[in-house]
Amino acid sequence: MIKNAVVVKYEAGEHDQLFWCLCCKREVKRHLSHGSLTVLHGGLLQHMASLEHKKEANKFWWENKAEAKLKQQFLISPEDYERFKSSLVKALDAYEEKEDEVIKEMASHIREVEQSRQEMVHAVLEPQTGTEFCDESSAFSTPGGHKSDITIITEEQLGPSVIQITPDLDWMEGNHALTFIGHQESEGKGNVHTGAKPPWLLQDEEEFGSKQQIGPSYEEFLKEKEKQKLKKLPADRVGANFDHTSQTGEGWLPSFGRVWNHGRRWQSRHQFKAESSQERDSQRKTRKRPKSELQ
Amino acid sequence: MSFLLPKLTSKKEVDQAIKSVAEKVLVLRFGKDDDPVCLQLDDILAKTSHDLSKMAAIYLVDVNKVPVYTQYFDISYIPSTVFFFNGQHMKVDYGSPDHTKFVGSFKTKQDFIDLIEVIYRGAMRGKLIVQSPIDPKNVPKYDLLYQGI
Repeated sequence: MIKNAVVVKYEAGEHDQLFWCLCCKREVKRHLSHGSLTVLHGGLLQHMASLEHKKEANKFWWENKAEAKLKQQFLISPEDYERFKSSLVKALDAYEEKEDEVIKEMASHIREVEQSRQEMVHAVLEPQTGTEFCDESSAFSTPGGHKSDITIITEEQLGPSVIQITPDLDWMEGNHALTFIGHQESEGKGNVHTGAKPPWLLQDEEEFGSKQQIGPSYEEFLKEKEKQKLKKLPADRVGANFDHTSQTGEGWLPSFGRVWNHGRRWQSRHQFKAESSQERDSQRKTRKRPKSELQ
Repeated sequence: MSFLLPKLTSKKEVDQAIKSVAEKVLVLRFGKDDDPVCLQLDDILAKTSHDLSKMAAIYLVDVNKVPVYTQYFDISYIPSTVFFFNGQHMKVDYGSPDHTKFVGSFKTKQDFIDLIEVIYRGAMRGKLIVQSPIDPKNVPKYDLLYQGI
């Protein structure tokens, strides 16, 4: 561990571990981390090399009468610590070199991709003749909105410039040539801006006969729909054979319940019948009169 | 893309659609199937039509086949999209000079979905003109030329 210091990328979960030092009776960070790098077991070594720890260890051994040989295992002498430091420096350098390599690789990959894109752009430009680059680029549409990227590059004729991430608003500027199909000249007829009658409400062209047929058949169709829904309901439900067309008289509801009456129920019923017959007679009389007048 | 959406080819069919689509926003795209901006718009319409099926019905109309409607709506730029609800023409203020139709394509599917939702809610509340939720910089710019109106 001392000879080969190991430097790795910092990972929060793992590298924040603490260890408990019995002698000093406190928790110490196991690994040393700074920024994005961590020295494995750096904290442990650092602590064990410190003077404070040495004193505490001596105390501990004296109090607990432990074997002196073991004590050495729990301490790290300054020379050892120096050795560790030098190996650490070497490890850091090696790590930096590796990082640089990775970055160079990524850069070269990006350059390759850019190259291939440029070649494709040139291939597109060669067959094109007219100024309608919109059509060409739309036929050649690669991922998403790169249409606008190509049109901008052809317009400005930039060579190796890397315009891969153009702002999204450019899609509109590239396509602002909406196809113009001519002024709609409708003299005398009017249009939506003048508030003329909309074409779908104009009924001049429709045949009169067809309109007649459509009316009732649609209603029939709706009725048929309702009937089909009724058929789906269980046939022995309550009221399935209810005759909706039967007439009802006044007596079907027990609506003769007087509130402030004393006496028997049949009396209130008798009263109700008497009153309703009176009303019927008076209604008949009023109806008869106009009839007689007509005659 | 345009073969995924239903098309209307005569004035009668358009009338029928306007009168019969009930309780849903009717979207009529006026344009030509091979125009590049129309293709873009048709792509967005096709992709969203299933998700919006409960709120909207989308149809494509070729401007050459229905000259009556092309003249009535004063369609000079294609694509133009007109919205109806229960037979009533819905106007939307997009920040552009013409509120009767949407000219051009939408930038994202979400813009179109938001617009349909706003139109639907406005129509449910009885509004005949609604405010577009689309960011004005995402609305295509064009010059509106009045012809002696």
